Amino acid sequence: MGTYLAKRLLLIVPTLIGAAALVFVIMRVIPGDVALLIFGGDTAGQIDAKQLADMRHRLGLDQPLVAQFGTWLWGVLRFDFGTSLWTGRPVIEELLVRLPLSLELALAATLVSVVIAIPFGMLAAVRQDTWIDYVIRVISIGGLAIPSFWVGILCILFLVIWFGWGPPLEFTPPWVDPWANFQQMVWPVVTVGYRYAAVTTRMTRSTLLEVLREDYIRTAWAKGQREWAIVFRHGLKNAMLPVITLIGTEFAFLIGGLVVTETVFTLNGVGRFVVDAVAHRDYPVVQALVFLIAFGFVIVNLLVDLTYAWFDPRIRYR
Amino acid sequence: MARSWGRRVLCTVATLSVVAGLAFAADTPRPGGVLLAVIGADPPSLDPHQESTFATLQLVAPLYSTLVQTDPYAYPKIIGDAASEWKISADALTYTFKIRPGIRFHDGSPLTAVDVKATYDKLIFPPAGTRSVRKSTYSVVASIDAPDPSTVVFKLKHPSASLLGNFASPWNVIYPKKYLDKDPNYFMKNVVGSGPFKFKSYTPGATFEGERNPDYFVKDRPYLNGYKFFISTETSVRAAAIRSGRAYIEFRDLPNADVEAIKKQLGDKVVVQQTPMTGQVGIAINNTVKPFTDVRVRKALTLGLDRYTGGRVLFGITGLRDVGGLLRPSTEFAMAEADLQELPGFGKDPAKNRAEAKRLLAEAGFPNGFKVVLKNRNIRLPYQDFAVFAIQEWRKIGIEAEHRPLETAAWFSDGRDTGNFELIVAPTVEASDDPDVFLERYTTGDANNWGRFSDPAIDDLFSRQSRALDPAERKRTILQLQRRVLENAYYMPGLWWSRSVVHWAKVKNYVAPPNHYANQKLQDVWLSED
Amino acid sequence: MATNYPLTHAMASAELAPRLTVAEEVAKFIREKPLGAAGAAIILAMMAVAVFAEALAPYDPYLGDYGAQFARPSADHWFGTDEFGRDILSRIMYGARIALFVGFTASFAGCSLGALLGVISAYYGGKVDLLLERLMDILLAFPQLILALAIASILGPSVRNVVIAVSIPVIPRAARVVRATALSVKENVYVEAVCALGASRPRVILRHIVPNVMAPYTIILTAQLGGAILAEAALSYLGLGTAEPTPSWGLMLSGSAPSYAEKAPWIGLFPGIAISLGVFGFNLFGDSLRDALDPKLRGR
Repeated sequence: MGTYLAKRLLLIVPTLIGAAALVFVIMRVIPGDVALLIFGGDTAGQIDAKQLADMRHRLGLDQPLVAQFGTWLWGVLRFDFGTSLWTGRPVIEELLVRLPLSLELALAATLVSVVIAIPFGMLAAVRQDTWIDYVIRVISIGGLAIPSFWVGILCILFLVIWFGWGPPLEFTPPWVDPWANFQQMVWPVVTVGYRYAAVTTRMTRSTLLEVLREDYIRTAWAKGQREWAIVFRHGLKNAMLPVITLIGTEFAFLIGGLVVTETVFTLNGVGRFVVDAVAHRDYPVVQALVFLIAFGFVIVNLLVDLTYAWFDPRIRYR
Repeated sequence: MARSWGRRVLCTVATLSVVAGLAFAADTPRPGGVLLAVIGADPPSLDPHQESTFATLQLVAPLYSTLVQTDPYAYPKIIGDAASEWKISADALTYTFKIRPGIRFHDGSPLTAVDVKATYDKLIFPPAGTRSVRKSTYSVVASIDAPDPSTVVFKLKHPSASLLGNFASPWNVIYPKKYLDKDPNYFMKNVVGSGPFKFKSYTPGATFEGERNPDYFVKDRPYLNGYKFFISTETSVRAAAIRSGRAYIEFRDLPNADVEAIKKQLGDKVVVQQTPMTGQVGIAINNTVKPFTDVRVRKALTLGLDRYTGGRVLFGITGLRDVGGLLRPSTEFAMAEADLQELPGFGKDPAKNRAEAKRLLAEAGFPNGFKVVLKNRNIRLPYQDFAVFAIQEWRKIGIEAEHRPLETAAWFSDGRDTGNFELIVAPTVEASDDPDVFLERYTTGDANNWGRFSDPAIDDLFSRQSRALDPAERKRTILQLQRRVLENAYYMPGLWWSRSVVHWAKVKNYVAPPNHYANQKLQDVWLSED
Repeated sequence: MATNYPLTHAMASAELAPRLTVAEEVAKFIREKPLGAAGAAIILAMMAVAVFAEALAPYDPYLGDYGAQFARPSADHWFGTDEFGRDILSRIMYGARIALFVGFTASFAGCSLGALLGVISAYYGGKVDLLLERLMDILLAFPQLILALAIASILGPSVRNVVIAVSIPVIPRAARVVRATALSVKENVYVEAVCALGASRPRVILRHIVPNVMAPYTIILTAQLGGAILAEAALSYLGLGTAEPTPSWGLMLSGSAPSYAEKAPWIGLFPGIAISLGVFGFNLFGDSLRDALDPKLRGR
């Protein structure tokens, strides 16, 4: 296990540096001068050439590209992601303000989805080809096919039109006021979690179906064990692993869901920050956020792989 | 018998006074409460001198004072704010303002004439590296003096009919001199004002808060304990916020469909104020770029827009309705309908207009039309809807316009600052109907001349109308100016705007002016319940 | 992600077995996998509508009938009209064109490029393989929507840029899958024999490896198609894809649809159904295809 961990960690470093380089290259290929953009300029678009040059120097844009990358990377290692062009505050500060909300949304959505999806997946497998199975499968496919922003919009409309109720417009952390937090987060969690729950349900169902066909299950059945005992003791254990790997693969869609849902529900989270930064041409922020999200993604996948390796020794020896 | 009669009178008097007392109490402002509002865009910066968007002004107006202001309850009458009285000399070349004593900035320092002078110096003679978008409105001012701490004197180059009204502009907030001396751009990110509210917090993209200023120079004001704006670019989210009571008011405009739905659901709990606006949405043409250097192409573009049908179609959706020239129809200096209809794009026969447009295009070398990019602001109401209409119309004469919405700051940057566009949706919305303010953008080099055209005849007409103290003469000159702009299609006005402000009935004492810039100080607004 | 050796071996050897004719395959598919057939039917219908939109659409999707704003669904306008009086049915039909254009182009481009890289990586092995794998790892580190946002931020919003933005994240995913299959095919004795007989490298790749990776290529292609359509809808909704008045389904859902939800619910209803149906069809078909080609899951 130790060598596997060491090997994986070592592999991550070049991946992350490569990701940082890729982000950096993409964001530096900007049509239009960043300095010009910040500057705003005097009337009728006349800008003092000297001040423009000063600004470029201040932003470090007159250095060679590799030097700029080095400076940025060095800053990243010290958690200094530069300053937002739009707000003028350090990117790390803006990020920390918005992180709790997005974290809560992501974790809650994952947790709630898993808690709901696994029982339903099991139910669908055990009652395969009955109407229960079909209903569950259709609802699951809905989670994959229906765009999440539409689910969000429909939620808001439904609540406002039928109940005259709207979610709170500001984020209160759960430790400050759990009820206000719940009111604000419940519908976004449903919107984000729907897809994830759908995928997990389907995976649980198919894994359980596979397991239930194994010979040792038939033996247990023949020996007189009760149906639910079999399902829980043997089926569930084996279904857990693919579900855990799903967290890794679905994380990408989770981030996408966050971005869209935060926009629909006007939540001041990291996802919406990316969209706002893109709209504002706030390149330092876009650069920092894209890198950080990639970083998070890599870490999550590493954790998932490690968990998988822990449970399935065959993987370690590849 | 007499005693029971007496008692009956007493009872009646008592009842009447209780009723009167209740009625009176209903109109007695109640101090307290925080006003919750929603707003649809992010401010590019917090300095109203440098910005022209409601996204800046609505947030910071309660935090500042201006020299004079329009009466919130009697537009367009002018009353004092920081100035208690003012005098115009007999030759109309000297304006003297007396500053009210006892006004303090939120950092404790007193507001005196030197601060007013420093503010107006920045507005009229901006230092390098600072932008003053309304500079040309005050180009008539020759010098500003502060002979003593409570007197400011403006000396003019020539008489001006509009100047006093323009001093009342809500954009001319007064800054403390000492911060301006350090950095003229200080107020782009910071707030130090003298208004009824103090700056509390700002989270970009999310919220903006102000709290009551206990040392405000008007006694017992403001009534509110504070105000809070929630920023959301999604119209449906803002409408849902008002509908569910999470916010009490939206100060700009909501689509008619949302207003109707809110009114239907909440009935008497909400109030809808509908006003025609001192603003229109049109399209700026980049006159320095081919093929728009050719007046025939520009004329074809404006001929292709059937404005009268547009007014019918768009009103239900966006509130754009009235067809007019460069000044709001039915105001003092507006063009008469008969005059308007002679100009390209304003005739009432759309088929004839389109045929003429196609002919002009063919003559200019585009018999099959051409492709063009139409940049726009990414706010739906009314920018996007207007653009969809324009694009539809131009298809009928063979012009394929690709629509490109930009976020507010980027739209200003491309349109106003760098001229990086072919066509761009550019409104003319101001805080009053003043002709100087509306027409200066058609002069050479003006900050708001997005189309970057230069016509000395227009420059001359503008300065003549600005000096004309006789309204009849002024109207004639303005008519000539409008004709020149519209005949050459330097800029294409679209449709004039009416807006609907929806708010909960508990928001009292707010009167929606004919634009979303004025009356934003919230000094006398109160909430009848929390 | 763990490579499933038994699966790829089985797939590779299944492909080398004798084949049925196309018609027989199709009939078998319909019989055994009705859901998949339904999915295929949906896809074909969408494609037909997209290709023949000019002939099928009753109205011009860009021109509004000013006298008929907010019209209810009726004989004149089957799906009603929107706030400008534009026929929604026609807009849905032209929207299919955009959805399928983005979906197919992005998936094909991404999958093909990825497959090519996967085959090269598997065949040449060694340093080439290592380098390409690292590159794919790096690309895989970015969630699709985030990468699309970053690309949109520099290239600006347009259909072409949406295609680029949506296709890039597909490349590493296709490369991985195809590489795994190609590796196992390479190990196959048959291929070793051909090499020993002196066949040139490109010939081996083209005539032996490529046909045998067609199965996973098709699977990942159909898997990505639904995702590509959703990504385009999301990007348009966020304002980074197509802009008004283009009749893109995602765009039709944003902005005006919620405002008119009570006055004219059909404005938002039909585009939402269209997107869901399209992705649904691709998912059903893709699922069944994968089932059909995976011998372990056969007979379920």
